[in-house]
Amino acid sequence: MKKLSAVIIFLTGLYALSSFASPKVSPNIVHEKVLKNGLKILVKEDRRAPVMVSQLWYKVGASYEHGGITGLSHVLEHMMFQGTHGTLPGEFSKIIAENGGRENAFTGADYTAYFQVMEASRLEVSLKLEADRMQNLKFQQKEFAKELQVVMEERRMRTEDKPQGQTYEYFKALAYTNSPYRNPIIGWMQDLEDMELADLADWYKRWYSPNNATLVVVGDVNAKNVFVLAEQYFGGIPTVNFKPVKNRTEVPQVGIRRAVVKQKAKVPYLLMGYKVPVLNSVEDDADIYALEVLSGILSGGSSARLASRLVRGSQVATSASAGYDMNARLPTLFLFDAVPVKGTTVKSLENALLEQLKLLKEHPVEKKELDRIKAQVIASSVYEKDSNFYQAMQLGMLNTVGVGWQKGEAYVEKVKAITAEQIQAVASRYLIEDHLTVVHMQVEEMQGAH
Amino acid sequence: MRINTGAFIGALLLASTASFAMPSIQHWQTTNGVNVYFVATKGLPILDARVVFDAGSVRDGEKAGVAALTGALLELGAAGKSAQDIAEQLESVGAQMDTSTSRDFTSISFRSLTDVKALETSWGVLKQVVNEPDFPKADFKREKKRTLLAITQREESPGILAQLALYKEIFNGHAYGNAIRGVESTVSQLAVSDLEHFYKQYYVANNLKIVLVGGLSTAQAKNMVEGLVGKLPLGIKAKTITTVEAVQTGKTIHQEHPSQQTHMLYGLPVLKHNDSDYFALYVGNHILGGGGFSSQIVKEIREKRGLAYSAYSYFHPMVEKGPFLIGLQTRNKKVEEAAATVKQMLKSFIEHGPTTDELIAAKKNIIGGFALKLDSNKKLLGHVASIAASNAPLDYLNTYMAKVKAVTREQIADAFQRRIKIDSMVMVTVGQTVRSKK
Repeated sequence: MKKLSAVIIFLTGLYALSSFASPKVSPNIVHEKVLKNGLKILVKEDRRAPVMVSQLWYKVGASYEHGGITGLSHVLEHMMFQGTHGTLPGEFSKIIAENGGRENAFTGADYTAYFQVMEASRLEVSLKLEADRMQNLKFQQKEFAKELQVVMEERRMRTEDKPQGQTYEYFKALAYTNSPYRNPIIGWMQDLEDMELADLADWYKRWYSPNNATLVVVGDVNAKNVFVLAEQYFGGIPTVNFKPVKNRTEVPQVGIRRAVVKQKAKVPYLLMGYKVPVLNSVEDDADIYALEVLSGILSGGSSARLASRLVRGSQVATSASAGYDMNARLPTLFLFDAVPVKGTTVKSLENALLEQLKLLKEHPVEKKELDRIKAQVIASSVYEKDSNFYQAMQLGMLNTVGVGWQKGEAYVEKVKAITAEQIQAVASRYLIEDHLTVVHMQVEEMQGAH
Repeated sequence: MRINTGAFIGALLLASTASFAMPSIQHWQTTNGVNVYFVATKGLPILDARVVFDAGSVRDGEKAGVAALTGALLELGAAGKSAQDIAEQLESVGAQMDTSTSRDFTSISFRSLTDVKALETSWGVLKQVVNEPDFPKADFKREKKRTLLAITQREESPGILAQLALYKEIFNGHAYGNAIRGVESTVSQLAVSDLEHFYKQYYVANNLKIVLVGGLSTAQAKNMVEGLVGKLPLGIKAKTITTVEAVQTGKTIHQEHPSQQTHMLYGLPVLKHNDSDYFALYVGNHILGGGGFSSQIVKEIREKRGLAYSAYSYFHPMVEKGPFLIGLQTRNKKVEEAAATVKQMLKSFIEHGPTTDELIAAKKNIIGGFALKLDSNKKLLGHVASIAASNAPLDYLNTYMAKVKAVTREQIADAFQRRIKIDSMVMVTVGQTVRSKK
């Protein structure tokens, strides 16, 4: 099921997450250990190829930031490649490259993660370097000034020059009142301009510690050996006492929110989102899985309702999808995005989407529809095992956002248990007008374009 | 120093191959002559397949966009089944199918579980899609509209505009110079009969290759492929693609666009599949701009000057000569600095080639990382499909590391000097002109 909201941004544009689709279940055993200093280690042995992926996840991301310092987690992620007290700027990457590795890092709203993919015997190289930059990062003004420019270029590429990206930014800021999810992961341009080296050093000191991190290794490795190596390199790093992040629970939304965003573009665009709970925010998780399946009914494949009814059927949309990230750390949005066909207004497209939601509230979904979503979830849980990287992503992400990696193991069974009545119920309970935000992107003349 | 590092490469090689079973590619032909490539893998009940027709946009002729639209329509109606029926059947067993058109080929990518129920259902659908597409009128009309809208939407993206402009210029007059999905004036003229003709002419056994990777026995794979395409007519093999001529004189093209960044591309046509200079150029480019943070372009443009988030160079070998290009995007006022820097770097690389240290480091990365190329069925499928599409020898993967290892500094400099003619390169920039301060 497509996840519109699981937006993460990478250090370099070299990676694409081709299979970032749905969580998984796996009979492969997860080996878990926590070092005395609090570092959690998760290992999955997969011997299909002589390679491994090593990921180090920190519990910090854009949702830990507040106004004025947005973008800090992401710029810090960039700085993590700019040298430590024992290595020169760029040396980390050079060593990984010489060992045949590929590496990158990414920052999301709820996490910052670093990874290396290497021939399996090179694990030690990766752990040694990660342990070093967990404690010895060197903050140099020259590297910072340059890296900040790189991040501003990244922002221009992703947001300023992408009409839909820019619209999504305004949309989130309208939908959330006090939740930190209102801020862009990459940060507002003004905050980037105001950022100082000392801000980064503080942020690093505050969040980068073994007791705020999870090491995940998946591949042709022996769990015991991984634990021994982790102890060797990370064991001596002291625990840091830090204040937990403030709750900042979003205030209830008490009425529909609407906005128009004008962009220099050619094709209009619609974004809609309803405030919904997530696994982390509820005691009883049945509603959450029902919402997850609901997103599948709407947008899980080419036979799902949005493609079938809005793109092919009534032909009001040239594309339309729904997305829900049930693993977000904080309550999130059940999202819709759609592009109208030529000659159709964004308003009629909005009405068509609302009509689909009305149908979901009034009638239970058909059994064969529901079975199709479940079949796709089951198949995906097998397909995902074709990728060490994806398996490691799931473990690291679930642990870092506070859901716990064990939930991933239960995913398929939980989805299988969802009934048509539950889907109808959550549609009526959560997808209500008072909790809706709608943004219409209007097209402005593109002067200067040929 | 050199000997030491050489020994290190040897150790790495050993490490990567000691426990590493090189995939063995089985190859056969169906009764109607379709070339089939199969790698049996263990451990996962998954089948990945790719059905590759010599039916890319290079075959469009006057009707630019017909290949892509034909490909898109395949799964929207076949053997009397509607788009909805097809999608439901596949998704009811969790199978996935996706069609894509490049300049050279149209490929159907397929993934299914291998249990009997899933595979019989999904393979059955694939068979109908390949053999009996209906090109329903209503679906055609809709997809045509969607394509026209996508063509309009290209105008929003300076990156896409830059690529279209570069291809148009460096493949001047050649079909490679056209946009894969066509342009408004050609797509709006397309009729269903154009797609039917295109299908009949190009979707034939003589233009087809099939790649399978997954948990099947050879006997099973042979049966399945025979069942899939054994009845496809032989047809006439598509003509050899017209030679891509060298660019006579380089030029600089600028398009105004209301963006904050200027996207810059700098390139020329260079490489066909299986070119004898390939390994020298590939390893050389890894050092120049293909190897991420360790490459010269990223170091200079991003790490030293902070000019861009993404800066790179690559060779894209195609059936006829595909492009070599350098690309980046930077704030409008810095485009002159970035362009001049990149030009100078390329010039210097062509003149001097890499240093010994750079070459050693690149080889360590490529050879040491070889196992990463083949660590999933999906990646394996991609590599075997490239081997099949390019008619590379079946032992391509087995000899790959030795060929990389054998590349010398002199070969790199020589290959770049012969193949990259700076005077013939085209520079395209798309962005807002910033008035100079003077």
